[in-house]
Amino acid sequence: MPEFEIQLIAVIASVACAVLGTFIVLRKMSMLTDAITHTILLGIVLAYFISKDLSSPLLYVGAIIMGLFTVYLVSLLQNTHLLSEEAAIGVVFPFLFSIAIILISLFAGSVHLDTDSVLLGELAFAPFDRLVVFGIDIGAKSIYTMGLVLILNAGFVKIFYKELQLSSFDSLLAYTLGFAPTVLHYLLMTFVSITAVSAFSVVGSILVVAFMIAPPITARLLTHELKPMIWISALIGAFNALIGYQIARSFDVSIAGSMALMSGLSFVIVLLFSRQSGMITRIWQQLHLKRDYDDMALLIHLFHHYKTEVQESETNIHTIVNHLNWEPHRLENCVKRLLNKHLIVVESDQYQLTSEGIAFAAHQYTTLFK
Amino acid sequence: MKKILLIGLCLLLISGCSRSKHVEGKINIVATTTMLTDLVSQIGKDHVSLTGLMGPGIDPHLYQASAGNVIDMQNADIVVYNGVHLEGKMSEIFDELSKVNKTTIKLEDGLNQSALIHVDEETLDPHIWFDVKNWEDGARYVAQQLSAYDPENAADYAQNAQDYLKQLEELDTYVRTRAEELPSSQRYLVTAHDAFNYFARAYGFEVVAIQGISTSSEASTTNIRHLADLIVEKKIKAIFVESSVPTKTIQSLKDAVSSRGFNVEIGGSLYSDSLGDKQSNTETYIKTVKANIDTIVDALK
Amino acid sequence: MTCSAVKQMNNLLSLLGDYTFQVVAVGSCALGIISGISGSFATLRQQSLLGDSISHSALAGVAIAFILTGSKTTEVLLIGAGIVGLIATYLITQLSRFSKANFESVMAVVMSSFFGLGLMLLTYIQHLPNANQAGLNRFLFGQAATMLSTDVLLILIVAVLIILTVCLFFKEFKLFVFDRDFASDLGLPTGLLNFILSTMVVLTVILGIQSVGVVLMSALLISPAIAARQWTHHLSSLIGLAAILGGISGLGGTLISSSITNFPTGPAIVLIISLILIVSLLIAPGRGIIWQRQQLHRAKLNVAADMILLHLLEVHKSTFSAADFAAIHASQAPLYSMDQLVKNLQERHSIEKQESLFIVQESAIQELSGHLKKEEPDNA
Repeated sequence: MPEFEIQLIAVIASVACAVLGTFIVLRKMSMLTDAITHTILLGIVLAYFISKDLSSPLLYVGAIIMGLFTVYLVSLLQNTHLLSEEAAIGVVFPFLFSIAIILISLFAGSVHLDTDSVLLGELAFAPFDRLVVFGIDIGAKSIYTMGLVLILNAGFVKIFYKELQLSSFDSLLAYTLGFAPTVLHYLLMTFVSITAVSAFSVVGSILVVAFMIAPPITARLLTHELKPMIWISALIGAFNALIGYQIARSFDVSIAGSMALMSGLSFVIVLLFSRQSGMITRIWQQLHLKRDYDDMALLIHLFHHYKTEVQESETNIHTIVNHLNWEPHRLENCVKRLLNKHLIVVESDQYQLTSEGIAFAAHQYTTLFK
Repeated sequence: MKKILLIGLCLLLISGCSRSKHVEGKINIVATTTMLTDLVSQIGKDHVSLTGLMGPGIDPHLYQASAGNVIDMQNADIVVYNGVHLEGKMSEIFDELSKVNKTTIKLEDGLNQSALIHVDEETLDPHIWFDVKNWEDGARYVAQQLSAYDPENAADYAQNAQDYLKQLEELDTYVRTRAEELPSSQRYLVTAHDAFNYFARAYGFEVVAIQGISTSSEASTTNIRHLADLIVEKKIKAIFVESSVPTKTIQSLKDAVSSRGFNVEIGGSLYSDSLGDKQSNTETYIKTVKANIDTIVDALK
Repeated sequence: MTCSAVKQMNNLLSLLGDYTFQVVAVGSCALGIISGISGSFATLRQQSLLGDSISHSALAGVAIAFILTGSKTTEVLLIGAGIVGLIATYLITQLSRFSKANFESVMAVVMSSFFGLGLMLLTYIQHLPNANQAGLNRFLFGQAATMLSTDVLLILIVAVLIILTVCLFFKEFKLFVFDRDFASDLGLPTGLLNFILSTMVVLTVILGIQSVGVVLMSALLISPAIAARQWTHHLSSLIGLAAILGGISGLGGTLISSSITNFPTGPAIVLIISLILIVSLLIAPGRGIIWQRQQLHRAKLNVAADMILLHLLEVHKSTFSAADFAAIHASQAPLYSMDQLVKNLQERHSIEKQESLFIVQESAIQELSGHLKKEEPDNA
């Protein structure tokens, strides 16, 4: 049962992240999610100074607010246009994180105040954190927290779909219509922050980034339309979670680590094999193209010299090589293929077109030379 | 593609269900730290089948769970943990485990509230195990809880506890005697981080650390300077490394002291957050504590 | 000198003579310098966040190094981290090129995958019966305050190497960074240049995170270069200034941390360089935030003044008194005071004061005449 729940939680989390992650990737804010996982420590520290309690829910609130504040600061910097977008991120998060470390070292050096102890994101233990309502155990708490986040994200995307679509794909137009940071931008980032903090406490920091970013960019290899992209991201995310878990089980290693690795691997696999952009696919296609060309060339050669005076020498199996100017094994392979397809036969040392061969070659000939 | 995923999900559902490896006739216990694993094995002996979540040398603050731990937890009849927020958020989950019909033994409950050291008004120091008296209380508590869970073997648990308590008493005396070999002016324990408060309080040492308990805190050069001054002033002979903390931290202190013309040795490696291992003959609590005090006293003499 | 001043002087002198301070200060300063240099190239190549991703990927390298060698010595771990860091960097560039996906998205994915791999290996190691394997990742991520003289030596050696390389190949690097295609057309070995630059960054980062930690390294790599960028756009002065700013922050951070108890050194350095950056962003001449505000303010003022002038021209033709101006000003009620607007017009030589009257200059009339002409038909 715990194994099932872990996978369920991971799948829900990955889908919740993928839904928002699609927009983050489109808006080129991927590293922002990583930055947030660092800066929420400051939110936790500040909240701790107020509440003085390591188990207080205020710490979650502090984390979420700090996530938003990070986005705000980064946007502020980006809008000066004095530095690149990613540089803005790279400047803000060390700054906030350092303040957190300073505060901890100066005022709370004896407290176990670090993100991992406050937001324990460890899937292995998630099934043991139960939600008990009116004395009935209805499952792991994380199922419901991530489930809620998923519903919220899905609802947000559904309601604001058109606006999100416009501002993600045509940010320049959106910029002229009403500059960033707009209300929508901050609304989106609020949901991202909530998702990040919740996911952080359920699956851990590295998985937040992996779940949010990897499925969307993988999906992007397969489609450029927004709606399919979201759906495919969700599916890929779920897939990564499930396979990742199996890997972790087989080798008895970190669950989150395996899922994160799997996220990267599925991106690479799709990259290699996808129909549109896969590297291996392209190589494969080129190979086939070469073969088709050779087949056609030979057929047309035979057709061209059909029933002519030179047919004897042009189509003789020994001399044809010279006429075509091919290496022997290239001719051999081509002949094999054509024989298999019943387009030619060998008759008394000559390559002859079959009736199908004639028809095929004729068709190609007219198409080419018309 | 969606169909494949659906089928896959179903398969996983089925696979996830029954893979328990219950050891028949024994109580399945999962303990967090190596110290606890050792303690429970001393009391429970053959009646328990023990799994330790953390292996030798693992710092509880840095512990990363692996997928196999899930099955361990699932199969466990009893979960034993330290408490005092040592296991961080995990301990909160453990606190709630009774809802899932799992018995838990929280060592903190076996101790007197007054025995716990306050680091500041709100926070307690979790490194309770280095005061052997605390561990004796712990042993009694574990025996009591095991007997409550398994009344059939209550007599065995009580006997095992008795025997072990005797050994712990001897250990306590040993530590005290050794500690007294050092004049009180020499009883300074300088380490990388603050894990020895209980030890210090029980056996008359003064602990000075480079950085606090929190793993997130960072050292300051001022601290190192002050510490170096202190070492020179008190003529402290040795400073100590911990197995789970980089040697660098202590090394930088040593260099600072050298520059002041005093030579302080790196007295050896102490076990702070976990027990040692078979290789170094420190795989039990008693052996580890002995090794620690020996290292300390021999270096400081 | 007063007593307290003498005391402070003594404190400062004893601080400067303190061994730990010296080691950390020199080390941080040197690290700041090479970070400024490497960071200049990284930011120009849009690879600012590479430091963050190399640090995350390094975890896998550390784990692999330990599994292969069983040793926890810093040198071995560093080499492992370095190699994996280079592999990760290579992967990121190649993958983003082939997939045409955004560079930083690929960076995020590679980073988290490698870190995930590192975690898997770490948990695998945890199962090995060896008490020596604890806290592997702690061994990689250092703290500034505990820098050793060996660390500083290493940093200095690398600093010399980097400075030499940059000086020797400055022209080639410059061309490569700004116009890669042209560089390859010219026959420059772009692959090799790319490799050298990447290695420079990876080396700096790995060295840095071992001495001062992950987050600090990200800041040191980016901030000095960005700050320098606000003051110059010539590559040579950019690199030089970035190096200086990096060095200053290293020194300054150590000073602060050495004067206040419990003040951590690494974060202190980040604080200084961040402040330098903020100040640069604000006051940089010709592009800074304050300058931008001024420009905006100026533009608005111009418009407001012109509006009034326009109205005046319509009514009073080219000569008017202060009272006339006041009347229009009252009716329009712009955000600026009369004095401000008059001064603005005078500064721009749109009007000239003669005794008690203002005369609108020809240039201004011509400039605004376009608007006037449009008005006239409507008025008629």
